[in-house]
Amino acid sequence: MKLELGNFYVKEICFGDKTSLKDGLLTVNKEEALAVVKEDEHITEAELYIVSPGDRVRLVPVKEAIEPRYRVGGGPVFPGVTGDLMQAGNGTTYALKDMSVLVVGRHYGGFQDGLIDMSGEGAKYTYYSQLKNLVLVADTDEIFEQKEQQKKNRALRWAGMRLAEYIGAAVKDLIPDEVETFELEPVTKRSKEINELPSVVLVLQPQSQMEEGGYNDLNYGWDTNRMLPTFMHPNEVLDGAMISGSFMPCSSKWSTYDFQNLPMIRKLYKEHGKTINFLGVIMSNLNVALEQKERAALFVAQMAKSLGADSAVVAEEGYGNPDADFTGCIVALENAGIKTVGLTNECTGRDGASQPLVSLDEKEDAIVSCGNVSTLIRLPKMETVLGELEALARDGLSGGWSNDEILGASVKEDGSIIMENNAMFCGDQVVGWSVKRMVEF
Amino acid sequence: MKGILYLNQFFGQIGGEELADFKPEIREGLVGPAMALQQELGDEVQITHTIICGDNFIGSNTEEAVETIISMLKGKEMDVFFAGPAFRAGRYGAACGHICKAVKKEFDVPVLTSMNDENPGVEMFKKEMYIFKGGASAAAMKKDIKAMSKFALKLLKGEKLLPAAEEGYFGRGMRDQIWLDPPVTAADRVIDMLLKKINGEPFDTELPIPKSDRVAIAPSITPEDLSHMEVALITSGGIVPVGNPDRIQSASATKWGKYDISQTDDLVKGEYMTIHAGFDPAAANNDSDVIVPLDAMRRYQKEGKIGGVYKYFFSTVGTGTTQAEAARMGKEIARELKKDGIRAAILTST
Repeated sequence: MKLELGNFYVKEICFGDKTSLKDGLLTVNKEEALAVVKEDEHITEAELYIVSPGDRVRLVPVKEAIEPRYRVGGGPVFPGVTGDLMQAGNGTTYALKDMSVLVVGRHYGGFQDGLIDMSGEGAKYTYYSQLKNLVLVADTDEIFEQKEQQKKNRALRWAGMRLAEYIGAAVKDLIPDEVETFELEPVTKRSKEINELPSVVLVLQPQSQMEEGGYNDLNYGWDTNRMLPTFMHPNEVLDGAMISGSFMPCSSKWSTYDFQNLPMIRKLYKEHGKTINFLGVIMSNLNVALEQKERAALFVAQMAKSLGADSAVVAEEGYGNPDADFTGCIVALENAGIKTVGLTNECTGRDGASQPLVSLDEKEDAIVSCGNVSTLIRLPKMETVLGELEALARDGLSGGWSNDEILGASVKEDGSIIMENNAMFCGDQVVGWSVKRMVEF
Repeated sequence: MKGILYLNQFFGQIGGEELADFKPEIREGLVGPAMALQQELGDEVQITHTIICGDNFIGSNTEEAVETIISMLKGKEMDVFFAGPAFRAGRYGAACGHICKAVKKEFDVPVLTSMNDENPGVEMFKKEMYIFKGGASAAAMKKDIKAMSKFALKLLKGEKLLPAAEEGYFGRGMRDQIWLDPPVTAADRVIDMLLKKINGEPFDTELPIPKSDRVAIAPSITPEDLSHMEVALITSGGIVPVGNPDRIQSASATKWGKYDISQTDDLVKGEYMTIHAGFDPAAANNDSDVIVPLDAMRRYQKEGKIGGVYKYFFSTVGTGTTQAEAARMGKEIARELKKDGIRAAILTST
């Protein structure tokens, strides 16, 4: 399978007459773009903004981030989600780099939504403060979940994907700045030199905890709660097979942009043929029932062993209950003789003294740990807020609260905030970007 | 700023083992190692007093010694407190730990000590104070004092503190995130660790697995005993009377509530609900017995399988709640139950 990603580097975004890219300047026809957003009658109100690194802007409640793309030769950017099913990861896709489409609720947030500061002290907590962002701020008529802490955010997330496809289509007739090729030979057809290198599988545990449809990450449109671990080509993940869900406390969440660019996959590709033999991805999940966890671990270990993996990397999208899957999977792999490194974040409490993962095992002797979800963060007022600041305190964001006996509400009258890292949008970057690590004090 | 140092009878120049019963004394100015400490601290911090106590005395009369020393310190200006270094001396290490702990609690000032990693005082007290990694004997005095005082100055000036391993003290079990400088991405760190693990080279995990803290499973109860016993219901599933009277948090809970069910047989919709933010609440809001199975317990009670149901059920929220908070709440609830002679409980999670 061979994927060519044609990259167009976006240096600046502006609004203008024609949606187009020229010399790194992305011009967006706002009216046309908003018409695409409003194709769904559930969108009741929508506006677009442009934010860049250094802007005095705070975004909250942020629901999703997507990289604008265009599938050369036709077909949806997200097969099985924004269009018919087709093979992802084989062929050419164009990508607009250094930018994302961010989706922000006009009013209402929830457990799974987060916050981004584009400048100041808060900027270091998210990856998206480093990007140019086209921001969709919108509201919907999904009254049934308006006051619910857990929201599917269906209309908003799908609007974001449509918008990303619309923006992506602006480059369809252009020549990319650069083409990156991602190609892995079939597992049994690799050269002697490659076969002699230690082989590695990447085990991904995307979020799948909700029994009811509409909340979990989707794999080609299929609810990850309803799947057993399956072997995937890494190109499929990089090319739109996986989309983010709407459930996990936000700093632990993997956005759709995160899947499209998954740094751990890119790194394994970079090492492939040099230090390792990258076998592929085992896509597992994080279902809640113990039996489902055990079954998933069993499947992962068997698959890795049958593939002849010498080693594995396991990454979890979540903490708490999912730690049991993370630990269970690592233990199953180690028991199968596969040398495993785990990639996660921790919940050590506001004082840092709590047990880092819910479930621990001495076989987990190699872990890269990207953050503490419960670290308290205080940030000053930001000039401009896109969305609604009060959502952080009012709507049960995983790192916000409306009343705390000692700390008061998350949002102060002067516009400053106090929150847990939990609500930083995809902040722990367990997909591989994180330059944070956990240490003992 | 002002500081005070604690020493044992030997370093306090009272005498050796034969004078280890020496009762606590406070002296103005510098005694023994206090001079070296003052030298390292320079003009920033003045060591105003030295406290001296025999190792045996504090070992056998810990409470009395600690109380005496605390009363000696009352009214003294103090911004920081030092003890030792204790090197490998076990009794001296324990004494430094006890005193530092009490001073921190009473006066809320930073407390620092230094011990060798084989000193049992390290395991006893490292979670509660800065214990610097010291030498095995007094030969390391200058170096150990330097390490303590250097850090004390950073602490007092409010400078950025580095992780335990870099500052040189024993980790206090408090984990937090730092930004790597220069930045190294998690993906790069994974590959580095993976290659080392594959090649059998040493590597440093970023999450050393702590020793597990398991509670032994209690001996089983016979059906005969159970038929006479009241059973308590406890949940981390966030079931509360509608309105959440105790305002238990929906995530990262620090509170628990107890609710009278002595006159209740069924947790009906509209009267009870869940406030837990970590799962789909539909089923629990429709019938809270799916999480706190009071209806089933009442049936068992009628059938004579259990003696009864304890008059309160206890509830908190498990999602995002730290292990430390959970353990504290568990202990508090257990105390209530024991007080009422309850010996059996069902703990439901979600």
